[in-house]
Amino acid sequence: MGALRERMGERVAAAKARLAVPKVIGPADPVLTAVVVALVAFGVVMVFSASAVFASQRYDDPFHFLVRQGLFAFVGLGVMLGVARFDYHRYRALTYPVLGVAMLLLFAVVLGFGRSAGGAQRWIAVGPVNIQPAEAAKLALILWLAYSLSKKAGRMRSFQIGFLPHALVAGFLMLLCLKQPDFGSAVMIGLLTFVLLFTAGARLGYLLGAVLLAAPVAYLLIATSDYRMRRIQAFLAPFEHRYGIGYQIAESLMSFGAGGPTGVGIGDSRQKLFYLPEAHTDFISAIIGEELGFVGVSLLLVAFALVVWRGLRIAARAADDYGTYLAIGITMFIGLQAFTNLAVAMGMLPTKGLVLPFISYGGSSLLVNCAAVGILLNVSRERDVEEVGEPEAGPAESTKKTKTSRGDAGAKKKRRRRNGRRPGEAAGGAVAAQGGTA
Amino acid sequence: MKNLPPKSRRWAKVRIALLGTLLMAFAVAVMHRAWELQVDRAPALREMAEEQYLRRIRLAPKRGTIYDRHGAELAVSVDVDSVWANPRALRENGGDPDVIAGRLSRLLGVDRERIARRLHSDRYFVWIKRRITPQLAARVRDLDLPGVRLEREARRFYPNRQLASHVLGFANIDGVGIEGLELSLEERLRGDRRVVPAIRDRRGRVVFSEQLLDDRAAQGDDVTLTLDRTIQRIAERELALAVQTFEAKAGSVVVMDPESGEILALANYPTFDPNDPGDSPASHRRNRAVTDRFEPGSTVKPFTVAAALARGTIGPEQLIDCEDGAMQVDEYVIHDTTPHEELTPAQILAYSSNIGTAKIGGTLGRRGLYRAFRRFGFGEETGLELPGEAGGILRHFRRWYEMDAATISFGQGMSSTSVQLATAMSAIANGGRLVRPRLIGQVRDANGAVVQETHPEVRRRVVPERVARLVGDMLTAVTGPGGTAEEAAIDGYLVAGKTGTAQKADYVSGGYAEDRWLASFVGFVPAEDPRLVISVVVDEPVIAHYGGVVAGPVFRRVGEQALRHLGVPASTGGEALADHARTQRRRRRMARRIARERGDTEEAPPTPAVTRAIMPGEVAVPDLEGMTARRAVVALNEAGLRATLEGHGVVRSQLPAAGQPIPRGERVRVILQPAYAAVGREPEDALALAATESTAEGATP
Repeated sequence: MGALRERMGERVAAAKARLAVPKVIGPADPVLTAVVVALVAFGVVMVFSASAVFASQRYDDPFHFLVRQGLFAFVGLGVMLGVARFDYHRYRALTYPVLGVAMLLLFAVVLGFGRSAGGAQRWIAVGPVNIQPAEAAKLALILWLAYSLSKKAGRMRSFQIGFLPHALVAGFLMLLCLKQPDFGSAVMIGLLTFVLLFTAGARLGYLLGAVLLAAPVAYLLIATSDYRMRRIQAFLAPFEHRYGIGYQIAESLMSFGAGGPTGVGIGDSRQKLFYLPEAHTDFISAIIGEELGFVGVSLLLVAFALVVWRGLRIAARAADDYGTYLAIGITMFIGLQAFTNLAVAMGMLPTKGLVLPFISYGGSSLLVNCAAVGILLNVSRERDVEEVGEPEAGPAESTKKTKTSRGDAGAKKKRRRRNGRRPGEAAGGAVAAQGGTA
Repeated sequence: MKNLPPKSRRWAKVRIALLGTLLMAFAVAVMHRAWELQVDRAPALREMAEEQYLRRIRLAPKRGTIYDRHGAELAVSVDVDSVWANPRALRENGGDPDVIAGRLSRLLGVDRERIARRLHSDRYFVWIKRRITPQLAARVRDLDLPGVRLEREARRFYPNRQLASHVLGFANIDGVGIEGLELSLEERLRGDRRVVPAIRDRRGRVVFSEQLLDDRAAQGDDVTLTLDRTIQRIAERELALAVQTFEAKAGSVVVMDPESGEILALANYPTFDPNDPGDSPASHRRNRAVTDRFEPGSTVKPFTVAAALARGTIGPEQLIDCEDGAMQVDEYVIHDTTPHEELTPAQILAYSSNIGTAKIGGTLGRRGLYRAFRRFGFGEETGLELPGEAGGILRHFRRWYEMDAATISFGQGMSSTSVQLATAMSAIANGGRLVRPRLIGQVRDANGAVVQETHPEVRRRVVPERVARLVGDMLTAVTGPGGTAEEAAIDGYLVAGKTGTAQKADYVSGGYAEDRWLASFVGFVPAEDPRLVISVVVDEPVIAHYGGVVAGPVFRRVGEQALRHLGVPASTGGEALADHARTQRRRRRMARRIARERGDTEEAPPTPAVTRAIMPGEVAVPDLEGMTARRAVVALNEAGLRATLEGHGVVRSQLPAAGQPIPRGERVRVILQPAYAAVGREPEDALALAATESTAEGATP
């Protein structure tokens, strides 16, 4: 009985430990915050520049999109800062409701409740705003994967526990996306799942097997769909189809070329004069390329690289594996979107219908991305947790231990504050010191 | 992930690093691609992009205004509305092209089908109707149809309608000069129609131009003419009246300042409204005073006399034997309308003696006569700023026919324009200087700065001043009692001038037409201090033929009103002259009316100046007109001639003309036409040269 009780007690303690919310002792990553705020602000400017002509023609109001994007940016940044204050451990309880709602929304779209745009059902109107369930679904998937992967920490190498459930859920979401049809989101969901399973230590064999299985499916999907085939053709030879299917990509390439090394100057794009379709949404990077040139595009890439770097740094330093997976998922979510969008606009990848995070016009994607960064910022905050040492830990490792008792937390905090003031003295608590002063 | 065992933590960190590397590789690849597109391939891609949005547009700035010498507007550009539609926008906004086509058709009077077809097109821009009235524009605006818009366009407007229409010419719907000064001053009037690169959007609309020019710098220059609107109006009115009265085909009047060469009026009839040039046939739009050549006839006699006086080959009081009205030169006979025995040069001019003038011309020799006429400006353009000016034809004396030396001295066998006659007469009026006639006074840019100003230009001295004055005095006798142009006399002023009554060349049969005349009068007033040179030419008057009768009154009326308008004081002793002239005129008018009431022809047709004598072995060609082929052949056989028939029907014309002497047994070309096809033909411009050649021949045989 005693043994049983002891065992029960251990499990309850473990569960408590898992569900426990470690105390936050550090600030959010200021570099990431600054870069994202800058990107959002830049986005508002570029949306105005790219849309003014179109807006005055369509709505008789050149500020139509500027006003809306400005509002979205304001709300988005508010959401980001709000989410950043909300401890990410609390999402664990929300995992399944969020996933369920996301799936329901996707279902609703698939079943035809959505709004049609560009030949695809991707939107749902909630009151005055249109939301894109696929965006929310990606975030829901990241939340669920992070929860599930961290729960199954030790059993990730098994097929039934570590691989199959995640593959099934992701596959189901991908299927829903494909029904819309939204090939880009499906690929993105697949990529996110793959990356997270990979970092969580799933067997490479299973992952490669899944890729090998997915490849012919993807091929069939492309080959049997006219519009996907056309996109591939347009991608392969944009200028041969310049006045047909390759029009958009050819115009986009010309925009980048017209910009040259330093660009034609902000507001002076000519391609936005109805030559380049969707100049303020998916193809805003082409307008950036034209107005700000190679210099501008490079700075934009550096900004997103900074986001990726800080995101992965946060992942590596997260308080627990749940936070790590969240951070990786969100970083990948944003980084892949950004680089893929730029690659598509430059004709390196076939057209996918992905937005440029923080920059492209659209409230739905801006809010989701801001919320995601909010979560990432929360993960970045240093927490008062003990680092698990190796069983046969040497003295070197044991010095890295942080205190577990709550009573010591205050004292430690004071010490770190001192360290913070004199960074050079942070000899012992290197990790903690870095986390605190970065 | 501090909760993970260190081993899996290390692996996780390795995996994260791997992910980071992959993403960074992705970013580097994108940046590499950006370098490729924006640096390596930038020029080529930029060129492609520019190709689609850079459009070289032609700016159409405001066309310059044309003013008369006192600043009255003769041609202005005004902004009017044009209706266009954007068929795509129309359909997107729920407009039904057929319904809208119907409404527009009813309002604008454009064919319904045509509008509907345009509205159904896939374009972004179609014209519905250009240049509509402000009232219509307001109603189109009130309809408020989707996709139907109005746009301001400049339209050339001629506020005085027909006034000076031949001088001004007209501009087409796009504001490009087509005829007249609008054409010859195109460069100045249209302004800086520079081709500038402009940006257009995908719908083809010009969005903005990088080189938006200063509005006024781009504007066309304003041109002030030498024309006086009042005198122009007088000239046009009197010319039209004369042409209508005498049932003539056409006519022209040139009023010129002999000192400065400024053209004060240049009128033609028939005329047209440059606001709607398409409504008139091309023949109405021809500026006859400048483009049409004709044999001037007697009006050149003063120049022959002046040249002979200047060379001293005759004396001013020398008596010249006028052979009693007919003089045979080789095989030709020169006739005078009224036979005279001996005349002074002044009398020769007053009575317009062909024989006397031919004799005076003969004293100069061929070379002398040719040189003298060239110096008076015949055979070359006057340099007026109008398109298509004809120079007139004065062949080199080495290529003259036998009789030319005699006939050219009285204006046959050569040709000139009205403007040339006025210019040559100006040389007599202004003391012997040939001035260049001018229509353009001043050109100012939109800011009011003078960019071009013309000044009187004396091209050469033609005759000494003394001779010019002398001839001028002689010419006053023309309008005096017994002169050929008593009708040209102006109350209170001394008028100098010369009539011309030239038989017109017959372009069809050769030779001269018996019943087609060209009546002219060229003169200046006041004779003692000339202010105006007026040349009047009336083409093919039917009621009367004599220059003095047909053209003289036009000169008088134009001169009278123009002098009053200019405020020129009357000549000394004018009152007595005026009274006399008035009485004379009244008497003549009365006589003509009585004659008309009695049913007589008003006056005997003028005698042809030159006919050919019938030599031994020659016969006169019988008149075949209107005969059938058979009768024509019989008539020719009876006369001892043979026939060459062309065509069928009745005889329309014959070559040589009736009455012409030709050797017995020669062939006569007989041109037949079905009776119903025998409608009047108008000689074409292209034939003019050939006609002049045949004129010379026609005068000769």
